[in-house]
Amino acid sequence: MHSLIQLSIVVLLLPLLSFVILIFFNRRLPRRGDFIGVGILGTAFAISAYIFWSVIVQTYDPAFRIAWDFTWIDLGNVPGVGPLQIKMGVVIDNLTSIMLAMVTLISLLVHLYSTGYMAGDKNYGRYFAFLGIFTFSMLGIVLSDNLFSIYIFWELVGLSSYLLIGFFFEKQSAADAQKKAFLANRVGDIGMWLGILILYSQFHTFSFEQIYANLAAGKFGLSNGWLTAAGILLFMGCVGKSAQFPLHVWLPDAMEGPTPVSALIHAATMVAAGVYFVARIFVVLTPDALHVIAFTGACTAFMAATIAITQNDIKRVLAYSTVSQLGYMVLGLGVGAYSAALFHLVTHAFFKACLFLGSGAIIHAMHHEQDMRWMGGLRKHMPWTFATFTLATLALAGLPLTSGFMSKDAILAGAIGFAKTEGGGIFYLIPVLGFFSAMLTAFYMGRQIWLVFFGESRTHLKPAEDDHHAAHHAHAGHDAHTDDHHQEHGVHEVSWNMRAPLVILATLSIFFVYSPDPLDGGKGWFMKMIQTPATVVGEANHQIGDLRTPVSTATLAAAVPNVEVPAAEAGEHAGAEKGAHSYADMRQAEIVHAGHAAHFTAIYISSIMVLLGISLAFIVYVFNIIDPEKTAIAIRPLYLFSLNKWYWDEIYDATFIKGSMLLANILSWFDTTIVDGIVNGVATLVRNFAFLNDGFDRHVVDGLVNFTAFTVNTTGAVLRKLQTGKVQTYVVMLLLAVFGYFVFYLTRLIY
Amino acid sequence: MLSLIVFLPIIAGLVILAVPSSQKQIIRIVSLLAALAQGVLAVLIWRGYDPALPGITAGPGGSPLGSFQFVEKIPWISLHLGGFGSLNIEYFLGVDGISITMVILTALISAIGVLSSWTIQKQVKGYFILYNLLASAMMGCFVALDFFLFYVFWEVMLLPMYFLIGIWGGPNREYAAIKFFLYTLFGSVFMLLVMIGLYFSVTDPVTGNHTFSLVAMATQSNYIKDAILGPANVFWRYVAFIVLFIGFAIKVPMFPFHTWLPDAHVEAPTPISVILAGVLLKLGTYGMIRINFPLFPEVFRAGMYVIGIFGAINIIYGAFCALAQKDLKKMVAYSSISHMGYVLLGLAAGNSEGMVGALYQMFNHGTITAMLFLLVGVIYDRAHTRQIEKFGGLATYMPVYAALVTVAWFASLGLPGLSGFISEALVFVGAFSSVTTRYIAMVSVLGIVFGAAYLLWSLQRMFLGQRKPDAAYDLVVGEDGHEHIHFHDWNGKLDLDGRELAMLVPLMLITIFLGIYPMPVLGMLTTSINKLVQVLSPVVMSQM
Repeated sequence: MHSLIQLSIVVLLLPLLSFVILIFFNRRLPRRGDFIGVGILGTAFAISAYIFWSVIVQTYDPAFRIAWDFTWIDLGNVPGVGPLQIKMGVVIDNLTSIMLAMVTLISLLVHLYSTGYMAGDKNYGRYFAFLGIFTFSMLGIVLSDNLFSIYIFWELVGLSSYLLIGFFFEKQSAADAQKKAFLANRVGDIGMWLGILILYSQFHTFSFEQIYANLAAGKFGLSNGWLTAAGILLFMGCVGKSAQFPLHVWLPDAMEGPTPVSALIHAATMVAAGVYFVARIFVVLTPDALHVIAFTGACTAFMAATIAITQNDIKRVLAYSTVSQLGYMVLGLGVGAYSAALFHLVTHAFFKACLFLGSGAIIHAMHHEQDMRWMGGLRKHMPWTFATFTLATLALAGLPLTSGFMSKDAILAGAIGFAKTEGGGIFYLIPVLGFFSAMLTAFYMGRQIWLVFFGESRTHLKPAEDDHHAAHHAHAGHDAHTDDHHQEHGVHEVSWNMRAPLVILATLSIFFVYSPDPLDGGKGWFMKMIQTPATVVGEANHQIGDLRTPVSTATLAAAVPNVEVPAAEAGEHAGAEKGAHSYADMRQAEIVHAGHAAHFTAIYISSIMVLLGISLAFIVYVFNIIDPEKTAIAIRPLYLFSLNKWYWDEIYDATFIKGSMLLANILSWFDTTIVDGIVNGVATLVRNFAFLNDGFDRHVVDGLVNFTAFTVNTTGAVLRKLQTGKVQTYVVMLLLAVFGYFVFYLTRLIY
Repeated sequence: MLSLIVFLPIIAGLVILAVPSSQKQIIRIVSLLAALAQGVLAVLIWRGYDPALPGITAGPGGSPLGSFQFVEKIPWISLHLGGFGSLNIEYFLGVDGISITMVILTALISAIGVLSSWTIQKQVKGYFILYNLLASAMMGCFVALDFFLFYVFWEVMLLPMYFLIGIWGGPNREYAAIKFFLYTLFGSVFMLLVMIGLYFSVTDPVTGNHTFSLVAMATQSNYIKDAILGPANVFWRYVAFIVLFIGFAIKVPMFPFHTWLPDAHVEAPTPISVILAGVLLKLGTYGMIRINFPLFPEVFRAGMYVIGIFGAINIIYGAFCALAQKDLKKMVAYSSISHMGYVLLGLAAGNSEGMVGALYQMFNHGTITAMLFLLVGVIYDRAHTRQIEKFGGLATYMPVYAALVTVAWFASLGLPGLSGFISEALVFVGAFSSVTTRYIAMVSVLGIVFGAAYLLWSLQRMFLGQRKPDAAYDLVVGEDGHEHIHFHDWNGKLDLDGRELAMLVPLMLITIFLGIYPMPVLGMLTTSINKLVQVLSPVVMSQM
């Protein structure tokens, strides 16, 4: 076993250890054992950092991959299949080592931050235990080398998010939110499970490597449609976990969880798992499946952005912004901008975690006020939070010099390239939605910054007896907080253990971490280490797509001389030879190429859109040229549509939830009335028959018996008359009998 | 060994017979000791079991030895019936992969059931005598390899169950008991006919006599060609399969023969519910695997699709009915129906993955559902109601109970890391890999979502949020200023007490352990299942 594999298993198991210790012993430990959680995560991060260093910095090879597995379930010599085992295993490649470092770092920071934020909670120890099992599950997803174990950890992430979202379970809204999150995820999961089953049923293995090898060898026995279906179904898992349309509804509600949890699971890890998973299965996605993914991502990005602009709850804005950004990542994968999407995954994880933790600091300082309308002027009181929050906002909005700029630009460039390659038309909708959402992002983040940090404090404006007010207190109050007005002097900067994570995360939102050129992420280590893998089901695969002319790889290379696009672009770099990557698939190569060509186009358009968005935010909120309230009234239907989140919750409630309950009640009625009714009816029939039978028995059967007895009796009485006891009579009768016999015998003789 | 494990409870029952009925504690302890001894024997059998031997059919030379293990075979009843030949009934016990897990499960659940019966106060002596009789009969069913003997155990099981529900049950107990009894009896009458038909159709290859041996019956070459259930008599073989299947399906219970189950569960006392769900339901599917399918493999192949559909109906219909229930125990009862649907689906797949999954699901459903019913019993003891709406916010006041409920509920909804997941996953893997049941599997996955829906919803209504205004308990502020809850008529410990933990924690540990490392159980199954799959279908179905 490779030493890195051993280390990665240690990293995986450490948070589980933290969970086990804390769930059982937290009440017996000093400080409820929070130092154990932080310490263990610190160790895990240190080891992950070492793995990252070994793999990314020292090895610096895009094709780096080591794996190890063991037999988990041995089904013996299965008839028709042969020896069949289900294996579990660990894989470490560049993506894994980056994710490993990212997840453990953010988890560590969230642990640290929570020692401040959650201090004094009555279930303080249990909270850290839950963080532990969550981190464990997430690391499991990252390290899995097969579909089955990824599904296992996928569900465990669902469980741990259930526990964390519903941490304040006394609140009805939290209990609702956790259930909703779990169920929405499960809907996605059954799709994912079916996708896994399609692939398994063909190859009798769950291992990524073996499935891909089999697919590449053209051993897929079902039609092309099944393969596309498998891709889309697997993607459904991502739709659930990464909160893509139409299963995005759980994520905003999940803000009921403690705010650091939102930073961990709704910004950096759990929601990223979906994107990560699609990246893992990227090579099995057929062009049709990719189109579905691209459109889903674009719709999600756009829809969530339109909702975010009207939300008043500071965390909900961030939640919808997360949904929107996840849409970007999914869009990126769909259009084939693989590296860009994963790049955005990582950059977004850091700046969004920073934003969530920053909002937590604000909420903490504001005594659990979450409504931005009653904030304002906080920059004077919370300079550290202000600085880091602003930096992360710039990254989210995608301004140059930030990490978000590079990654978002790379995705949008890929989208343009994709639209060109696919022949334009409807496919241009994807970049258009992407750019438009970029503008909206800049707008709502500008609005948020302004409402929260600038101007004067508006706490005194808060209506005292407002329903809204009460509702928000219900949202926020995990301590029995009074509803008096927050006094401004109560607002203060947070302590060091909450500030340090903000600073670290904000630092990681700056461009130089990822690339020396602030305008081009492609020149950085990330994009070089994470390169688009060659598809195993592309058009070049003869077995897939019967209609297409078989093209061998060799011809392809000749047909597309520039296939080694990423390396060629970065030509003079030393890593060029190492990074050389040839695509077996023409479509893939063209898209990547066109994406690179569109690089500057994307930069121009997105910069313009971002500037537009920010200017609009300034016009509305800083210069007050446009009054937001009047505008809201003027376009009231649109405003309400956005404020009410496109009414998805209402639609789902009216259709799926009410429908399921109705069906449940109908079936339950059917069960007790019809099915059981038939049973009871049969029983009654049988019983009635028994009564009939009884009558029959008494009158007919018994009658027969009695009749027989009667007959015997009568006959006996008659016969008794013959039994006189006199010998003479007997002799006469004997003679008569003999005579009769002779008569009978003679007649037989004659005839 | 097997005779001992079967008859130990009856011996305990005889001992109890001699104990005066006022000595309740002695009666309980005798039963517990018998159950524990049974458990020790089960462990010995488990340790001594060789997973390399396949079972299912006879070993080399037509003898059960070399295939089955712990075999005990002696002539039992031998009647010469003149022109009809002779009636040979054997006392024939043995285990293979498909019964060994059930033997272990039965021993486990019986012991848990005794612990759970500790609180029974009414006619303790009679209760435990019947309980021990039931425990013996259940165990006997799983190890009997002679159809006649199986039938005897099967029928003997009915009687104590009838009285245990009918005397120690809830308000509507008599209706539930008679329903259970008649329903099952209805099934077993057909079983009797098929059994006699089989007897006259099969000869023992060794002796040449007719036989009730299930081992001989599982080999198609032992059938007399023109006999009533011989291979030539296709029509009657189909009829026999169907009526036998219905007989077992009632026990499973399979839609539409399931309505006795919710009634029986709601009325039965907690330990009897545990036995019923934990072991008795398994007898239905065990009967299918042991008798129905291998004796009529060609009919099974023809009927896989239909069985699969009934499995899917069970899964989804059971889940929806559970969603609508207001009584917690009834909800759990319907969840049982739903989960037994997975067993049917796995069997219908007819391939190793599906069948291993089905058998593993039987084991896991036994432990998990036992846990669910015990947990329902815990709250019923305290609150004297099971209406879900009468609770709320319990997690704050009964944290240990809430934690165990959460684990059990999640085990039931098939969370990875807990044993139920692996069996359900294998069932789906098998059902999807088989062309016959592929589309059925695609529909059945809905059960995963709705299973989660009813469980999480009940969890939320009972344990999360705040106490409801009309809750079955009062909120009192204690001297230390903390809020407590108080149940009327309950003087015991508010949260789980030692006895309850002793019942629940072992089951929970098993559930977790087998969820992480399933091979201790699966390892015993696979050889037999692979053999069974070959017996069922010479042409393998899991291939495309």
